[in-house]
Amino acid sequence: MDFLKRIFFVDILKGLALTFRYTYRKVYTEQYPLEKPKLAGRYRGAPRLNNDPVTGETLCIACDLCAEICPEDLIVVGSQRDPESRKKVLTHYTFDTSRCLFCGLCQEVCPTNAIELTQDFELAAYDRRSMVWDRKQLEKGWDRIHFGKDYHK
Amino acid sequence: MIEILLIYAIIPLIKIAVVVLFLSGAIAYLTLLERKLIAHIQVRLGPMRVGWHGLLQPIADGLKFLLKEDIVPAKADAFIFTIAPAISLLPAFLVFAVVPFGPPDMLKDFLSWILGWFPFLNLDPETIARIAENPIASGGYVTDINIAVLFVLSVSSVGILGIILGGWASNSKFPLLGALRSSAQMVSYEVALGFAIIGVLLVAGSLSLVEIVQNQQQEHIWYVFVQPVAFVLFFICGLAETNRLPFDLPEAETELVGGFHTEYSGFRFSLFFLAEYANMIAVSAIGVILFWGGWLRPFPNSDWLSFLDFIPGVLWFLGKVFMFLYVFIWLRGTLPRFRFDQLMQYGWKIFLPVALGNVVVTAGVLLAFL
Repeated sequence: MDFLKRIFFVDILKGLALTFRYTYRKVYTEQYPLEKPKLAGRYRGAPRLNNDPVTGETLCIACDLCAEICPEDLIVVGSQRDPESRKKVLTHYTFDTSRCLFCGLCQEVCPTNAIELTQDFELAAYDRRSMVWDRKQLEKGWDRIHFGKDYHK
Repeated sequence: MIEILLIYAIIPLIKIAVVVLFLSGAIAYLTLLERKLIAHIQVRLGPMRVGWHGLLQPIADGLKFLLKEDIVPAKADAFIFTIAPAISLLPAFLVFAVVPFGPPDMLKDFLSWILGWFPFLNLDPETIARIAENPIASGGYVTDINIAVLFVLSVSSVGILGIILGGWASNSKFPLLGALRSSAQMVSYEVALGFAIIGVLLVAGSLSLVEIVQNQQQEHIWYVFVQPVAFVLFFICGLAETNRLPFDLPEAETELVGGFHTEYSGFRFSLFFLAEYANMIAVSAIGVILFWGGWLRPFPNSDWLSFLDFIPGVLWFLGKVFMFLYVFIWLRGTLPRFRFDQLMQYGWKIFLPVALGNVVVTAGVLLAFL
């Protein structure tokens, strides 16, 4: 039996059948710059500061919780109290993406879902200074937008 | 006068040009096919960026080879180093002088049509008919010589010389080792290859490749069904002769850097490269002619398959050659490389005795029953 197997190249033919099956299978390669990879829904990427879609005003109430919880202390929230309404108003907001470990604690703790980690992962920059994102850049965000309090549930 | 000139000089020259150009293109795209197929076997994509699905990749590769620096090592034998790639390439192309792509009357209609388009030749219809009738002009091959198989065997073994010379003249360890391996490998497998072919020759009774195909038509059967053992031997030894995996010991990248072409770069390297692929096509073409009926369709004389006749013989031939090349690449994507002692053991202890036995049995059967 073994002898017959060797004469008729059974093992080689088995191997050939295997490679033939693989030849016409769907390829794993993703042509990255041309087609974006499919990310998991819970992937945490670039941060974004959300605006209210109706009024266009920022959702941030400058409570400073994100800056408090951030393990890297990379969020700086600047606020000012409005003398008339006695509310805190956001003046500036910086987020240092070069130090961010994308733990997502800031978006967990945010009461208004103002800060959110989007799925955009192309964070490379030419110098370190431009990796510190200011409010303007944080609000530009990416095309996939989620709002509402139930987003994280 | 013009008739003789046309039959014996002009038309054959045009045919040679067509064959050489077609072959060069085929080799270029064979490299692409190989890269694509290996990639898909490994569930990758292969070349995708140059042209649609990498279709212009061979042109980019060729340009790259042309523009790269052509280095001759300081202590190399410059003259031999220079001519070695040519010695390797020329025989690979020369084989196609006798390869029949189609039947002897393949170009008959085409010639009688196209010759009418040249009024300055002043050909009357009778002369055109005579030219078109002549197989030297209208055959689907460059030439048909009565010792074609012998010619192929002897010419293709000259190609080995190029590899050995290239390895020797590089004056470097790895090329020398590659060249030594290739000489041992090719010498041992050429013996078995020759004996495998002898089996077919005994059945066909001719050394002319055209006649071998015609005999297959007369006998209503492709010789692969008459000589299956010889075909398997021919295929394996053909793999070994063309240095394809699993027999690519002369250029084993993992052990010998690049084997005999380690020191070669640029255009000279590309000549070796071309030679390897031309050899692949040559072995496939010879295999198709000897065993798979050349330009014949399956079951060449059965009427129930005559609806296949609208496909010209050339396409049958090229299709079969393509199947061969596909299997060559497929094997490369499947099998690992043999060890050198395994190679020698298979060559001398298994393939040679089996091939000899095949010759003896074939001859005995022919003597006893026919």
